[in-house]
Amino acid sequence: MNSLRILHHLARADFLERIRRYSFLIMLGLVVWIGYLSASGQFRMLVSPDKVGIVNSAWAGGIMTVTVTTTLGLVGFYIVKGSVNRDYTTGVGQIMATTPLSRPLYMLGKWLSNFAVLGLAILILLLEGIVMNLLAGTAGFNLAALAAPLVIIALPCVGLVTAVAVLFESVSWLRGGLGNVVYFFVFIVAVSASPLSSAFGKPGTPINPYMDFNGWQIIGDSIQRAATAAYPGSAGIFGFIGGTSLADPKLFPWNGVSWTADILLSRLFFLVIAAGLVMVSALFFDRFNPARLLRIKQTKTRSIAAQPAAASAAIPVSNVHLTPLAGTRTRFRFGGLFLAELKLFLKGQRWWWYVVAGGLVIAQMVTELEVTRILLIVAWVWPILILSGLGCREQRFDTRQIVFSAPHPVANQLPATWLSAFVVIAALGCGALIKFILMGETVSILGWLTGAIFIPSLALALGTMTSSSKVFEALYVAWIYMLYQKVSALDFAGLTPDSPWYLYAPLALVLLVLAWLARAWQLTAKHISK
Amino acid sequence: MNSKWPNQNLEVIKKGAMKKMKLSISHLSKQYRRDFWGLRDFDLELTPGVIGLLGPNGAGKSTLMRMLATITKPTEGSVKWNDTDILKSPDTLRAVLGYLPQDFGIYPNLTGKEFLEYMAAIKGLDAKTARRRIEELLVVVNLVNAAKRPLGGYSGGMKQRVGIAQALLNDPQLLIVDEPTVGLDPEERVRFRNLLSDLSGERIILLSTHIVSDVEATATEIVVINKGRKIQHATPEKLLQLMEGKVWQWMIPSNDLPGLKQKHLISGVIRHDKGVQVRVVSDSAPTPEAQPDTPSLEDAYLHLVSEQGVKQ
Repeated sequence: MNSLRILHHLARADFLERIRRYSFLIMLGLVVWIGYLSASGQFRMLVSPDKVGIVNSAWAGGIMTVTVTTTLGLVGFYIVKGSVNRDYTTGVGQIMATTPLSRPLYMLGKWLSNFAVLGLAILILLLEGIVMNLLAGTAGFNLAALAAPLVIIALPCVGLVTAVAVLFESVSWLRGGLGNVVYFFVFIVAVSASPLSSAFGKPGTPINPYMDFNGWQIIGDSIQRAATAAYPGSAGIFGFIGGTSLADPKLFPWNGVSWTADILLSRLFFLVIAAGLVMVSALFFDRFNPARLLRIKQTKTRSIAAQPAAASAAIPVSNVHLTPLAGTRTRFRFGGLFLAELKLFLKGQRWWWYVVAGGLVIAQMVTELEVTRILLIVAWVWPILILSGLGCREQRFDTRQIVFSAPHPVANQLPATWLSAFVVIAALGCGALIKFILMGETVSILGWLTGAIFIPSLALALGTMTSSSKVFEALYVAWIYMLYQKVSALDFAGLTPDSPWYLYAPLALVLLVLAWLARAWQLTAKHISK
Repeated sequence: MNSKWPNQNLEVIKKGAMKKMKLSISHLSKQYRRDFWGLRDFDLELTPGVIGLLGPNGAGKSTLMRMLATITKPTEGSVKWNDTDILKSPDTLRAVLGYLPQDFGIYPNLTGKEFLEYMAAIKGLDAKTARRRIEELLVVVNLVNAAKRPLGGYSGGMKQRVGIAQALLNDPQLLIVDEPTVGLDPEERVRFRNLLSDLSGERIILLSTHIVSDVEATATEIVVINKGRKIQHATPEKLLQLMEGKVWQWMIPSNDLPGLKQKHLISGVIRHDKGVQVRVVSDSAPTPEAQPDTPSLEDAYLHLVSEQGVKQ
């Protein structure tokens, strides 16, 4: 009973702390946007090539569910991750560590709080769906049909996502930016594996709901069957797409998924898996042990002493005197600040980081042109975790008060910060640049330059605007993944034949202006202290 | 220790600069919520010296400090540095400002020396001056041996000393230090007080604290602030003078102490085998046995703060 009380208050306090944060408002905005996307038909379900369900409560619930499991499945992780880390950085964790609170209970509390945040998002989406259905006068409004997929499919899905977030936070090396990058690929693999796992898509093939964490198979199979029933002999495949509406769709009725015991059990299965992950997290969790944190720091920086820094031997107290400076002080020197920013940018990287970077540069020069382009992408992803600190490290390390009280904090520091990142990006891609020059690849050279300008601009803009490294980490990985998939529209570096690279130079300029405005706004905001 | 860079003209320049060195605060107010003002209608004029800003927790000291350090925008009022409005032209002040916030972070991967080099670059010091200044500052804040260790491994007191060093990098004309001795051991605290004394006279030093002994040792003027308002601005001597005849001490049985606390403002208690010797701040003798005692700044501070509490 006492454990339940502890759990309740642990989850409640964490939940209240989050919903009173600015980021929660952003999440609500995202949820409302998801609802809008679903209702406005910008994302739609269909059975290929042209069969679409008649819009009713079940269809609306289905679209919202597929949209929310796709978006919150990825973005939700980044929204909820950080709760354990906050307890580390605020010091609250060390206070908790002195109480009888057990590791599993703490992790369970964090999971419930995570779950409550994304659960609230789904509830808001449901309410939005109800309002939209009523406003649109959808024939035969059916609350159960609208809500069932959100409750039965979306909730266990976000339950699993929130448990993964807890797991990542319990493992020290996944707690930071690397975890954000790793999750992106975990999600992509999971989504890819889900429909492929049981030859999904071929009509008549039995689905495997236990491999279907986001519920696409369950909803898709049901819709596919309804389409086949309405148009016998057709063999379309379920799809979920964005884009323009079909010119002349063939309509069919769909009244929702038949919730069989097997499906319900499979959804419960994912909640059990989630709870299992939370328990596994407890095994990795160091319970805010500063000694373990210190060991991590020591392995990160070889120069650190074996013991915590001890006080220096005291000099006689009476000897305190400072020599006044001559009148040469505080004349701004861009070169000095640039070098200082560059040092700050690269400081903390281990030797192997430089070895890999050097290897990538050499490899860019000695490989075939196509491989060089791929290696250039890899080289530009390599510094993602330091790029993501641009514009927000003052917030992350709470140095804002001392950095921003120096003269001209926008005009002096921001260009030096950007230039330091540009130099690193240029250095990491210099192998490819040399190759392009040697082979006379003019477009590639210009594309390379655009890319080298665009990447730090994007990082700086997102860092200053969001005061967080998460957005850049998530967006940049997704972007590079699309680039690797040869999505030309996102090719900012002229690596694909149809690349609109020339648009990214002005875009970089816009991003820099946004970064400038965001930083200026921070300085004129009510206050920038904690 | 004499100056390593003797410059006779510098003294002349400094005297000239000191003549006009002035920070004028007029009707300064900061509203956080509709019904809550962090600072209200605050007026003050500061000239070179150490000005101790005393007040209980939540009095508005840090709010005032942050506004003077150009970090927070006031809701009303003005701040002028040598007749230049720093709300319109904050960089005028930033160029000559040293600021140690109450809460601040560091970059854990940088060493103490590298962090100071970074801050020196941000403040616009040239490399040669920065190098010499940092070397000297590391000695002054007693971090020479730890200078090449990453800041992530520093103790709280050591981080505080790095903070003090960064505030002094540009030899500021206005030095604002918010609770500077928090986390320092007694020896380092004395060292810091001595440093402030050494620095005073040629700049304005605003020292915020709720530790009266820190102010007692260094301040040439004292400003007492409570509930967002200035309640006193005077020299320490004047404050002590105001308290003449208002501090009393006598012996009472231990059992009477709780009752006395209800009736009077007690500024000190010493336990003896025959009872307790109490020290009370009161306009008149609390009992016939009470004997007048020599007032301290702590008595004055407690009296002022409690008097305002009674008034409200």
